Amino acid sequence: MDTDIHLTTPTDQIAQYADKPYADYLSAEDVQLKSPGWDPTMGGKIEERTLLTPEDIEEEVKGEIHIDYPIVNAFVNLSRLSQSETAVHLQRACNDLLLDQFLDDHDFHGLATVATQKPDKAAEELDRIGDEDKIVGVFLTSTGPRPPLGDPEYDILYQAAEDNGLPIAYHGATNSGFDIEFPIHSQEFEKFVEAHVNAHLWSQTMTLTSTMVNGIPEKFPDLDLVFLEAGISWVPYMMFRLNKELSMRRSEAPLLEKQPEEYIRDSYYFATQPLGEPMDPEHMKTMIDMVGKDSLMFASDYPHWDFDHPTELNGYLRSLFSPEDRERVLSGNASEVFGIGI
Amino acid sequence: MTEHVVADADEISDGERIIAQIEGREIGIFRKDGEYHAFLNWCPHQGGPACEGTISGTNESTFDRDSLELEVCWENEGNVLNCPWHGWEFDLKSGDCLAPRDDQLPTYPVKTRDGELVVEL
Ligand code: FES
Repeated sequence: MDTDIHLTTPTDQIAQYADKPYADYLSAEDVQLKSPGWDPTMGGKIEERTLLTPEDIEEEVKGEIHIDYPIVNAFVNLSRLSQSETAVHLQRACNDLLLDQFLDDHDFHGLATVATQKPDKAAEELDRIGDEDKIVGVFLTSTGPRPPLGDPEYDILYQAAEDNGLPIAYHGATNSGFDIEFPIHSQEFEKFVEAHVNAHLWSQTMTLTSTMVNGIPEKFPDLDLVFLEAGISWVPYMMFRLNKELSMRRSEAPLLEKQPEEYIRDSYYFATQPLGEPMDPEHMKTMIDMVGKDSLMFASDYPHWDFDHPTELNGYLRSLFSPEDRERVLSGNASEVFGIGI
Repeated sequence: MTEHVVADADEISDGERIIAQIEGREIGIFRKDGEYHAFLNWCPHQGGPACEGTISGTNESTFDRDSLELEVCWENEGNVLNCPWHGWEFDLKSGDCLAPRDDQLPTYPVKTRDGELVVEL
């Protein structure tokens, strides 16, 4: 079963399921439902594959990548439309298209498209199609909608989803508003904790990515880079994601001569605060082990309210590392990197 | 090792390729600068049909530590094979992956004999 199969839904096709004047609007040449202008094809080195028809899904998804149960989404970025009235109308057209062309006569399931601009109308749409057996969930793009998707404004949408037994599927992407909305979203958090949980993560993943893709550790191999105040759990994710992406898109970072993981292990350091708090301590041990004794350094962030007392980290280090390696994390690495003899 | 005649050598013009079926395997045979190169049509990344991808150049880059000048040049036009699935780049002559990892397309000896292309498997 594959939970994320994207259709390419041409606007003129959606227009066939829309009423006037929206249908005509969709046919206008300048209607943009996607594309922030980055080039995913790397200048044509790889082709963008599209799934336009049920036959494409049969042949490529079922036939070639061996998926028995594809769950398809129309992948239309209605949340990006400024005219919410249009978006509301088009959600119906998108879902009718999905049902009529893909779900009714084929062995696929699908996720509903909704216009998040008007959560009450989205809820009505879910009530309209909720008892269609082939509609099994709701597709939401994570960075298109404003405000962020937990805002109480959306409660009515979540209520309708729950009433109709439809799970919500959040989808992250570059072409669903990330280019514009991402920096604006942070201003729309209602509570400090929402901003605080994300600010450190976002700023540090961005900085790690930017330094890596621009080759800072290759340009300046003797320079050490220390990341403070985002904890460590994000590091394995980014390390492995950068390995993957930079092998696929090497020509966008041609200066790099090693895998990102190697640069991270050689030149990057991570201060431990705020050490996350998994319910199962074994998970934190695995995390510390993955980032590694040579890349970690203790930080408390005192006197801020979320400071870490050294005892917490120390407890993990005692059970995980040899006394020498524990020493490295508690003082040795920092003393080397900052050149402080002890 | 068994020799397989797969085509007449002049069936492939320079810079072109054919995909042949040999013993149930798909083998891409490329002609480049008068030489032939044969690879398994199976990408070491996730098994994509690497031999069916576009042939292009790629960016290479140098950095001068003193002047801080970064040069990015499009090089090796016609010598870079791009896997159509996720874009891993391979050297068209050696089959080596251009990303900094120890992967390569499995290669096979290929030669011409009496105007015919012979692949050893
Ligand atoms: S399978 Fe070839 S690049 Fe992924």
